[in-house]
Amino acid sequence: MKALLKKELCLALHPVNVIFLAMSAFLLIPSYPYYVTFFYTTLGLFFVCLTGRENHDMEYTMLLPVRRCDMVRARMLLAVIIELTQVIVCIPFAVISQKINRIPNVVGMEANIAFFGLALLLLGVFNIVFFPAYYRKPSAVGVSFVIASVVEAVVIVGLELMCHYVTFFRRYLDTRGLVYLPQKLMVLGLGIAAFAALTAVACRLSERRFERVDF
Amino acid sequence: MEMLSVKGLTKKYPSFTLREAAFTVEPGEIMGLIGRNGAGKSTTLKCLTGMVHPDGGEIAFFGLPLAGHELEIRQRMAFMSGTTDFYMRKKLRTITGTTKAFYPGWDEAAYRRYMERFRLDENKTPATLSAGMRVKYSLALAMSHHAELLILDEPTSGLDPISRDELTDLFLSLQREGVSILFSTHITSDLEKCADRITYIHEGRIMNSESLQDFRSRYRLVRMDGAVPEAWRPHLLGCKEAKHGFTALMERAWTEQLGVPSQEAALDDVMVHLEKEHDER
Repeated sequence: MKALLKKELCLALHPVNVIFLAMSAFLLIPSYPYYVTFFYTTLGLFFVCLTGRENHDMEYTMLLPVRRCDMVRARMLLAVIIELTQVIVCIPFAVISQKINRIPNVVGMEANIAFFGLALLLLGVFNIVFFPAYYRKPSAVGVSFVIASVVEAVVIVGLELMCHYVTFFRRYLDTRGLVYLPQKLMVLGLGIAAFAALTAVACRLSERRFERVDF
Repeated sequence: MEMLSVKGLTKKYPSFTLREAAFTVEPGEIMGLIGRNGAGKSTTLKCLTGMVHPDGGEIAFFGLPLAGHELEIRQRMAFMSGTTDFYMRKKLRTITGTTKAFYPGWDEAAYRRYMERFRLDENKTPATLSAGMRVKYSLALAMSHHAELLILDEPTSGLDPISRDELTDLFLSLQREGVSILFSTHITSDLEKCADRITYIHEGRIMNSESLQDFRSRYRLVRMDGAVPEAWRPHLLGCKEAKHGFTALMERAWTEQLGVPSQEAALDDVMVHLEKEHDER
């Protein structure tokens, strides 16, 4: 697995994955749908898989002494590393955003602790839609990404609308700073758990589907 | 112990079936897998490397069944598809650095030797190398983890005659180092130079798997001006009209029995006429 992860980092990782970390600065924009930052994260993952197809990454890796399930695990580990790095890089921007933006986010969710829980949920949903579809038919990576993007957009719009129409979100979660901390921490915890569970299931499904693929 | 043993290998696609393929590769042998485009050469090789799931049959490398020993087997063999076109924009140094991490028995000194012998610069990318040089780079990688068996799918396809000649020389040199090679091609002249044995595949069926000498000497090429003599007609294989007559194959025994003037058949002649014969049946 160590060698496979090295391969993912040295060969498969696309420059945009690093560039898109800078999109964390979107959290500084006043009144903005901050979840868009994480859309770029997933766009970066699509680039990894797309350029992998163009570079015959799977064909190259299949010839190495590795199991198919380990190929999937390494790719998903890379995805988790990229996703969590984006979350971590976002944290200082969220703190600064809360300090410098005096007007509340009129679009939707504030960049607070609960936001990160919901962002992790969003990434988990992307993982469980995109990766099993991708590993069912790696050559049709674009189709997998379109499906995952549509689901992701629906989730983003849904989460933002909940800040306007769901009392729990409006009263407790869509607030600034550390007020209602227990509620926000609960959502963060649920987000982390959802991300872990969805990603684990995505990995399992992807492994099963990839085992059946013929090149 | 056979380096590779294939028995009853079957793979069904909607428009093509590989049927009960069976052949072996012996230690230190160069085996050529020949057949026209679409005959099933790549499907056979992909089944051997796990890239395609066979519907039936047995595959064993070094006496070990492929199922359950994939990792061990892949440490001891190498597969190259085409002229190697992965990660074309990455430096060879980066690809090598990544690849060698998978092989505990990686021999850095051997790698350096092969890179020098093939005049390969690690700072170049595959995109800047010719197709022949890319094949050589793949061979350098394979030989640096001391692969005992090389499986190459159309390695000479798209190469100019000089590069092809260099490669076949290289295969012979690797054979002298004890490496067994199985390679598919539709360029039969490459095999005339280096193959010990030939496996001929036609529409998913293995038609022959025997020594190159036996394969070629079984047939004679009949080239005649004018019309085809009626007495010969039942024994001619893949009879083709030529500019001033016809060419066909005939089994050696029949040429001797009928006193037919004939000449030695090149592998190309054998394949072209046999393909025509099979198509007409």
